[in-house]
Amino acid sequence: MEPVSLHDGARDLWVVPIRHHSPACAAHLERLIAAVQPVAILVEGPCDFDPLIDLVCDPRTRAPVAIVSMCEAPAGQPVRRVASYFPFCAHSPELIALQAAKARGIPAHFIDLPSTARAMRDEEGAPRSLLSDEQPFDVGDYVTALARELGCRDGNEVWDHLFESRLATPDWQSFFTDVAQYCACIRAASDPARMETDGTLEREAQMRAILTKIRTATQGPIIAVVGGFHAETLFAPAETQPLAAKKDAGRSWLIRYGMRQLDALSGYGAGLPLPGFYDRLWQAGNGQDLALDLITGFAAHLRASEAEAPSFPVIANAVEQAERLAALRGRPFPLRDDIIDAIRSSFIKGEIPVERVPLLTTLHDWLTGHAIGDVPASAGSPPLVEAVRQQAAALGFAVKDGERRSRQLDIYRKPRHRAASRFCHAMALIEARFCQRTAGPDFRHGAMLDRLHEVWSVSWSPLVEARLIELSEAADTLPEALAFVLAGKLAELSEQGKGRSALAAIDLFAAACRAGLEEEGEAVLAVIEAGIIEDAELGSVVAALTDLVLLRRGRETLGITQTGPIDHLIATAWRRVLILLPDLADCGAEQLRGAVGALADLRGLVELAQRSDAPMDRALFDEALAQLRLRDLPPMLEGAVTAFALIDGQAQASDLETRLKGELASGYVDPAERLAFLGGIIAIARELLWSVPAIIDTLDTMLADLDEDAFMALLPHLRLALMPLDPREVDRLAEDVATRIGVRADQVAVHLDIGEAELAANLALDKVLAQVLARDGLA
Amino acid sequence: MASLSLESQPRSIRPPAEQRYARELAVLAAQDSFPRPAGWHLSPRAVRSFLLGDPKLGVSRKFYGDDPLVDRAIVSLMSQQGLMLVGEPGTAKSLLSELLAAAISGTSALVVQGSAGTTEDHIRYGWNYALLLAEGPSEKALVPSPVLSAMRSGRIVRFEEITRCPPEVQDALISILSEKALALPELGSDAVAGATPGFNVIATANLRDRGVHEMSSALKRRFNFETVHPIAEPDFERELVLKQLAERLEPTGLTVSGEADVADILVRTFQDLRTGRTAEGASLNRPDAVMSTAEAVNVLHAAALEAAYFNDGKLSAAHVARQLQGVVLKDSPEDGKRLRAYVDHIVKERAGRSGAWKEFYQAARALKLG
Repeated sequence: MEPVSLHDGARDLWVVPIRHHSPACAAHLERLIAAVQPVAILVEGPCDFDPLIDLVCDPRTRAPVAIVSMCEAPAGQPVRRVASYFPFCAHSPELIALQAAKARGIPAHFIDLPSTARAMRDEEGAPRSLLSDEQPFDVGDYVTALARELGCRDGNEVWDHLFESRLATPDWQSFFTDVAQYCACIRAASDPARMETDGTLEREAQMRAILTKIRTATQGPIIAVVGGFHAETLFAPAETQPLAAKKDAGRSWLIRYGMRQLDALSGYGAGLPLPGFYDRLWQAGNGQDLALDLITGFAAHLRASEAEAPSFPVIANAVEQAERLAALRGRPFPLRDDIIDAIRSSFIKGEIPVERVPLLTTLHDWLTGHAIGDVPASAGSPPLVEAVRQQAAALGFAVKDGERRSRQLDIYRKPRHRAASRFCHAMALIEARFCQRTAGPDFRHGAMLDRLHEVWSVSWSPLVEARLIELSEAADTLPEALAFVLAGKLAELSEQGKGRSALAAIDLFAAACRAGLEEEGEAVLAVIEAGIIEDAELGSVVAALTDLVLLRRGRETLGITQTGPIDHLIATAWRRVLILLPDLADCGAEQLRGAVGALADLRGLVELAQRSDAPMDRALFDEALAQLRLRDLPPMLEGAVTAFALIDGQAQASDLETRLKGELASGYVDPAERLAFLGGIIAIARELLWSVPAIIDTLDTMLADLDEDAFMALLPHLRLALMPLDPREVDRLAEDVATRIGVRADQVAVHLDIGEAELAANLALDKVLAQVLARDGLA
Repeated sequence: MASLSLESQPRSIRPPAEQRYARELAVLAAQDSFPRPAGWHLSPRAVRSFLLGDPKLGVSRKFYGDDPLVDRAIVSLMSQQGLMLVGEPGTAKSLLSELLAAAISGTSALVVQGSAGTTEDHIRYGWNYALLLAEGPSEKALVPSPVLSAMRSGRIVRFEEITRCPPEVQDALISILSEKALALPELGSDAVAGATPGFNVIATANLRDRGVHEMSSALKRRFNFETVHPIAEPDFERELVLKQLAERLEPTGLTVSGEADVADILVRTFQDLRTGRTAEGASLNRPDAVMSTAEAVNVLHAAALEAAYFNDGKLSAAHVARQLQGVVLKDSPEDGKRLRAYVDHIVKERAGRSGAWKEFYQAARALKLG
């Protein structure tokens, strides 16, 4: 292979091969610029981004930032626009080049195809990364073979080993010559047909064209900073005219960006993985104490996150391990993989499964970094971001900084506050991470309804804008974004099991209504209906129906104007309840408690429906209940159903009394069953204890007839049956009992300083003693 | 080798690594220009070349699948920490420890074989009781353990299957690893055996089998852990299996043919059953039995012997299929059903496309797999 050159003396043109986000390339580029003293700097990047160069170099801009470009999506795509990103981090050679041009007062230009050009998209019209594809650095026979030769595990380690290790060496010339040589080898091993189809050749033609144009217009040395893959092709003369961006084909903005999005491993395809590591390498400027800083830094991070932190000897061992690994692998200082390896062997005392262990995941996250950049206020942003920001500002929310604030909204009396509440609910629904409700009435569950204010904790962080930018591909306004998100969630719900999704769907409907999106929300109702129709559990249908009735009751505050659809749904659910009700008779022993619970909920629902005037036909319910009563039921369910029938007016108190007497006097083996009927009554309607005095009478008679042993056996079950009573009712019952046995209520309750078991033992002892005395004639 | 022919003893079935690879070790030592840590026979880089191979020097690759692990292991042995190799059975943990000891210390013979019967004497020292009774405690009467020998001579001691020992016996290592010294109170109140440079411990452990003991966290802290995984790369595994087959057949003088094609089928089958997912992406039930590379070598070796002694020496997929049964039907009767399902669905599908798979399928169908 011919030796490569960086400099075309005849044209006084320097072509600098780089890898995106490589600190070593950035450091050497600084040296090269200082040595070459160029009159213009050209950077690989869409040429329609030129107007943004000033903003990128603005002193208020802090990396990571990205230029986002929005283009109209081709017809047939679900979204209206597609966004593509051109990111910069602090150690991007591209950023260093642009900043150097500004500092020197020389012109800088982007020389790639416009971001709207067809070659910048793939076959489906989705955008490619605007940075050139760096896949060849990771895959391919050349890189694989080289990795094997050098004892590296992958292309990234090869890159680190060959180039990042030379960050602090002064010789920029041999550094870039080696990068160029390496990239030329990669290119020689690449498939030429692919370069044709993926737009590489077209892009290179454009770069040559712009380069030639600028070359002829200026005197003195020029530097072109391009992806190493393209470098050698740029010395050839231009054969075409540069392609200009089509007017109004798209717009671009400089936006804040995050380290997380920069990570090549997150599917973004260009740059180096774990950018946080390279950021630290760049900040340090050399690798001298890098391992020490990183390993102690990670240990401190573990300590701060309350994970199990490594002890000092472990940390010392890890640092030593990293240094030795670097020495073994022939590197001047520990690189990324050396440090990860050192942490892996020192910090983890145990077997590491093939999948990741939590500690390595934490390390990965930590090395990715979480910094978010900043852009000047004048940078502008996509329409959705602007629209939402304006709306937020108009509603009195602070959008100038990311500080967290608390806001109290008087939602009943002030229309503006109600609008702000709706806005917050909308932001919550689109998951913009703008706000969190800390207090307020819950119309969905009918809780805290006496509160007059809602309290929100709000913060306009870069995360909010990041989410809005994501959504701006689909929407220009908040209602459009809401509709888009809602449609997505709805599709998700339909995919999940239907039986389980009714409650989640009701939640979603409520959220949509609160966010002021009633019409679109109605599509959710169809999912709820499908779920309810297939649901075979009375309990969950009753729960869903209760929720629906509650929603209907809070309709004014929730902003529901049309009750038609919801009434329809309530009717459907009610029919389902009535179909399922008689089936309770077939439930097995283990489902009995669930069935009684469902009946109790049903009673609550029936009362709620009466109070809130929900469209539920009472007569049909009476029929279904009568049908159920005709069946042969287990005692507990029988008790529950009889109690229900009594309060419903279908049964007489005497029916209940007769049945209760029979049950209490029954010959069941298990004493629990004698009280099951009573338990059923109390679970449904404990007020019957007082409205039907016969219950307590019967119980009293039965208990009076028991001998001591039988009473002790029955006692726990009696307690269990009476458990639903609240303290007031317990007092009232105690009062009744006291009156019956002719003492004052406060005399019934005796406090003893000994435990229950001890008391029982003492009583048993007492009894035995009495028997002994009786036998011996001493009693 | 000339020196071997002079020995009166018959050659052992499996000579230790330092004898098997004596030539390679000599070449590496002669070429080794990098600094050697105190007590080491080779520099860390030469140790690495010994394990991972160096074609230029004619050094073969002996450990496959995870090169960074070898780096980490070598570096751990230079540190104050011991090296703990953990992982499923049959993942070449013991081989790795043997190779490391042979390359670093020139011998892999200092070894404690952990078992339920291992006592502290195996880790510290015992006595020649006849001498002890005759002369009282003396250096002469003391029988050093491999650990004590390694400390005194500055070499690597291997502790195989450490989790098979009771925890209180394991813990005898704790102070040796942290103090790098062992008190010998019977020889006088000040008698201490200090470790000379080059001493370290490589332990291997199985953390998952039935009947293994836990390790105390105090002991764990004194080790750097490395997990040895089954080889994920089929090509590597195939290369390794074939190499080991050649090594096993070489002393017997037997030759077989057709092993390369058969190894393909064998390795593919093992990888499928081990991971529960075929190369085509179909899922299957994994057998409980350990489907390690070592087992694959055993199967191929047995198949080769069958071919050589009972057939014309041409190894076929049918030989492999017949031997597979012995590997899979060890732990649970369910495994037979799982293998049957694999044969009936996955292998059958492949049998339609290739002659060798067809042979394998037909022989496997004839097995009684429950």
